[in-house]
Amino acid sequence: MIEHMSTSKTEQKKKRKFLMITAICFILLILTFIFSMNTGANSQSPSEVFQTLIGNGDRQQHLILFEFRLPRIVLSVLVGIGLAVSGCVLQSISRNALAEPGLLGIHAGAGLAILMFVSFVPVGVLNSTYFTPVFALFGALFSSFLVYRFAHKRNEGLLPMRLILTGVAVQAGIQAAMIVLTIHLTPERYETVAYWLAGHIGTTSWDYILALLPWLIIFLPIVYGKVRVLNILHLGDPLAISLGTDLEKERKILIGAAVCLAASSVSVSGSISFVGLIAPHLAKQLIGSRHEYYLPISALLGALLVLLGDTIGRVILAPSEIPAGLVVAVIGAPYFLYLLTKSNV
Amino acid sequence: MSTLTIEQIAVGYGDSIIIDGLDVTIPENKITTIIGPNGCGKSTLLKTISRLLKAQKGSVYLDGKAIHQLSTKDIAKRMAILPQTTETPSGLTVYELVSYGRFPYQKGFHSMKKEDVEAVQWALEVTGVTDFSDRPVEALSGGQRQRVWIAMALAQETEILVLDEPTTYLDLAHQLDILLLLKSLNEKENRTIVMVLHDLNHASRFSDYLIAMKDGAIVTEGTPNEVMTAENMEAVFDIQAIMTECPLSNHPICLTYQSSKGV
Repeated sequence: MIEHMSTSKTEQKKKRKFLMITAICFILLILTFIFSMNTGANSQSPSEVFQTLIGNGDRQQHLILFEFRLPRIVLSVLVGIGLAVSGCVLQSISRNALAEPGLLGIHAGAGLAILMFVSFVPVGVLNSTYFTPVFALFGALFSSFLVYRFAHKRNEGLLPMRLILTGVAVQAGIQAAMIVLTIHLTPERYETVAYWLAGHIGTTSWDYILALLPWLIIFLPIVYGKVRVLNILHLGDPLAISLGTDLEKERKILIGAAVCLAASSVSVSGSISFVGLIAPHLAKQLIGSRHEYYLPISALLGALLVLLGDTIGRVILAPSEIPAGLVVAVIGAPYFLYLLTKSNV
Repeated sequence: MSTLTIEQIAVGYGDSIIIDGLDVTIPENKITTIIGPNGCGKSTLLKTISRLLKAQKGSVYLDGKAIHQLSTKDIAKRMAILPQTTETPSGLTVYELVSYGRFPYQKGFHSMKKEDVEAVQWALEVTGVTDFSDRPVEALSGGQRQRVWIAMALAQETEILVLDEPTTYLDLAHQLDILLLLKSLNEKENRTIVMVLHDLNHASRFSDYLIAMKDGAIVTEGTPNEVMTAENMEAVFDIQAIMTECPLSNHPICLTYQSSKGV
């Protein structure tokens, strides 16, 4: 009986820790939001933001808040969630700490599609604001489908390790094709592509959010419904079978969900690559790898990272902007190296 | 009630067939150990029994039903497996890992029910790991870790336990610990235990039934007294063994041996 008490006590302790980290993440998100509004061109103080939110601001304040800043902030948060959850799932089912959505060819495929759009569609034929995400989405889905087809063997099914190796190969192929295409671009057009590849959330609108939201609404609950399956898959194939998971089926569902989350996110945000890798790592350091806690914390940290990256990128060299993807990489890379030296992975 | 019958299985990896046409019945409520030289197919047989490998021909029957026709979750409630190599997942406490053993019983979003908590408590207790149930699994020694894996398999509450070399990489005392634990589970809880062991004398001392394999086929099977003979050692391992009786279990053991090829 005493042991029972002590165990449920540690369970409660973990739950409290989870709630606390969640609360801190939310506070940091709000602080970043306030900071983001308070700096740069046309800044608004917290009280002005509050007044504008409840409808008391003037027209210019209203315009800036609702048409420029808010969509950008909301999109950053959503993209961060999508990429982080995707990375978290891929790391767990491949049992590989370096797995991330980019390894499935998602970023490369989207990049190639954008490059083809810029190269072959004459200016003004298609509205680039609306069609770039569509192209990127199909590019990402197509390249991850290619990776999947090559990685899948009839007898052995889908082995995560082969998925990653195939992903690396397909990615290399696509990048070679991209270089060939880039050579023929004019500098102005190249700039468009380069910005996209660096992960820039600058030109956004509520339409982008509306385009991304259905994907998250469908696939986040699917993934969250599988937290226990993820726990088991994380133990490796033999034990996952021993505990009664349908390995092939669960893997297909989870990889499919991870691909859709990352592809839809990347299509509206550009190629932000470090988040899917670093947010799950950070979350595991904080709360461990039980997915009931690990997955939501990864999502929150992903949101925080992208929002922070976009905010810093916007204000640090104002009026010019640094793409969020670059900022995240600049923050993320040293931290990642630090993690590697600290752990014995 | 849980009988495991293997009928005419052919199994291998890719195109190379390792076992072709093997029949065996695992005795109920007994400890059965598969012995044999490296590459004889004992792990392959164990993996086939535990559905980690699919037989290309023939089938494994659990109470007369082919295991590939039963739902994998139902099998998980009746048979737990401890694979030969287990990679320790990072970021889990002992309690969390052992509680994963309850997976086959859990549905939907509900957290652990009373019987789940009790099963985990019991598994932690009999394996003697209750004291460090809050510690991260990575921080444990090899012997402790092996106990934790066994605890997870026990939390599954199955009649059958399948273990692939559960004592490998452990020192003498810890090997004994694990085997005594399995023996007491068999005696007190009537668990059917099937395992592969490399140490012949451990196999003889702790098993009720031995299956000796060579080149993908069964050479002989029976009680330790029937199987552990000098002739069988010669036939299975190509060794000239000098046999004696273990004073602890009264089962035959191999005192020492030399190569039949006469080096």
